[in-house]
Amino acid sequence: MELTLNLDKIQSDNVSKYAKTILDKQNPYKNFKIENYKYAQLHRDIKSETLLRDIDISELLRISKNISSLTSNPVDLASDLNLWKYKNDDSFFRVSSLLKRDTSSINLDLIDDKNLFLDISQINENIHFFKSSKNVINLIIMNSKSNDEYPKSIFFDISNDSNLNVIHFNISNYKSFLYFESNLQDNSHLNFVSFQSDNIHTRNEFYASLNLECNFDLFGLNINNYGVNDNYSFIQHLKPSSSSREIFKSIVEKGAITNFQGKIYVDSIAQKTDGYQMSRSLLLDDISKANNKPELEIYADDVKCSHGSTVSKLDEDQIYYFKSRGIDSEMAKKILKKAFIAEIIESIKDDNLRDYSNNIIESLLT
Amino acid sequence: MLEIKNLHVSIEEKKIIKGLNLSINKGEVHALMGPNGSGKSTLSYVLSGKDKYEIDDGTIEYNEKNLLELDVDERANEGLFLAFQYPMEIPGVQTSFFLKTAINSKRKYLGHSEMDALEFAKLMKSKAEELNINNEMLKRDLNVNYSGGEKKKQEILQMSMLSPKMAILDETDSGLDIDALRIVSEGVNKLRSKENSFLVITHYQRLLNYIKPDFVHIIADGRIVKSGDYSLALELEEKGYEEISKSA
Repeated sequence: MELTLNLDKIQSDNVSKYAKTILDKQNPYKNFKIENYKYAQLHRDIKSETLLRDIDISELLRISKNISSLTSNPVDLASDLNLWKYKNDDSFFRVSSLLKRDTSSINLDLIDDKNLFLDISQINENIHFFKSSKNVINLIIMNSKSNDEYPKSIFFDISNDSNLNVIHFNISNYKSFLYFESNLQDNSHLNFVSFQSDNIHTRNEFYASLNLECNFDLFGLNINNYGVNDNYSFIQHLKPSSSSREIFKSIVEKGAITNFQGKIYVDSIAQKTDGYQMSRSLLLDDISKANNKPELEIYADDVKCSHGSTVSKLDEDQIYYFKSRGIDSEMAKKILKKAFIAEIIESIKDDNLRDYSNNIIESLLT
Repeated sequence: MLEIKNLHVSIEEKKIIKGLNLSINKGEVHALMGPNGSGKSTLSYVLSGKDKYEIDDGTIEYNEKNLLELDVDERANEGLFLAFQYPMEIPGVQTSFFLKTAINSKRKYLGHSEMDALEFAKLMKSKAEELNINNEMLKRDLNVNYSGGEKKKQEILQMSMLSPKMAILDETDSGLDIDALRIVSEGVNKLRSKENSFLVITHYQRLLNYIKPDFVHIIADGRIVKSGDYSLALELEEKGYEEISKSA
């Protein structure tokens, strides 16, 4: 009993320190120039007064309670290392979502169906998913018509030898600020595909921690958005022999701004890491913008990491080739756009889900 | 079929074609030969309608229509086909899908319904076999990682599937080995009929051993300097462009 109390004390002290630092120094609502939020233009939608003022002790306790629900071992929580889960790059979204929302847990091992469909725009809480069985589960997360003031967090804890497929449809949102955190234990796999279309102002953060010999695939597709669509990823390889593969593709038009910032962090003991990151944008007009910022931070010496980024427009010579075979330019452009994004759709392994996703994307492709 | 009169073309203020006249009737095969930079490829691009070429003067009549008023895809759907010297690579677009889209675009233009999948598969299979193109290649992305010879075969496959009225072959022989040259030529010869015409553009007389032209024209500095029958190609092979152009 006494021990628990002591831990609570340590915990709330640490949490206070932690939360205050993040909410103060990393707060993009207060400071527009924070590197990780550089292009997100969050100040445009600034209505969240509580994210601007100093928070009081009861609110900090809520974060503390939320964080303790995120970890199975409270002793770990008390250490600074675990609080600063992401090396000097912890997310403001994570902290503020824990401040403003409660967190519910869903144990995916208890799901009978192979596919679980969840509309998170209907849920006010953060959600914490657990998966430890070896069954293949496809989790389809729908987020649509959201007009959120505060960030919302989705956590995935994937135990040793387990795996999970996630498909995220982020469609027709006015405002949506999502934080995804994936903790992959040894030898686990996560395949994550995020489709984003017809949104006005969105930011998605994808944070992942990779342990021994695990594998994380993250694919993103942005098409036909308006306003600002911002994607940030931070993937940390903490143990040896894990791999991550990230491919983001965006078709940007009608004055929209699409951003991708991504970092791969490799710890000094994470030898034999294999990391790949690529972001490609297709700009269809002169008034739209694509910002790409890939980063590597590597402290181990035996790793394979690569990253790249391209911004291009539709190739006039390719369109001419189509036309020379009788295919009109509207059709040619549509085929070339589909060809550009095909890699992302093909990354969905389940046939039915791939067809399902393809139909949705095709209907959104102009 | 095709009537080019006094054609003057420039690109970025530079005159390339300077008063070219050429008349091709239904069922005829014409060869156009000339040295590098004489305007051969420019003529083929102008006929297919590629932009950035400025038509300074002259007329081109095709099938009793003013060709210059038609857009690139309209020309194609009216039966004009250009086999490219350097076909474009189209990553992410399967060859068979491209062929199907092209065929159905033409059918739509002509007011016909789409070709059904089985009929299309049969047509593609028979035409591909004639050209010694295997099935695996049709599943690959169009022209991506194709060898030079495979790209040229692919152009001829497109041509035979679209069965154009007027086909222009722009140095289709370049980059082909002897076997591929024979296969490609056979593909062209199969299409020859009283109804359609060809303009075969080449540097070398070799191709014309396989595709016997009715007429041979020599182009130099943007104009046709000499016309004749097949024997002109042989004479050219013997004497070279310089001497022939001088004597013209």
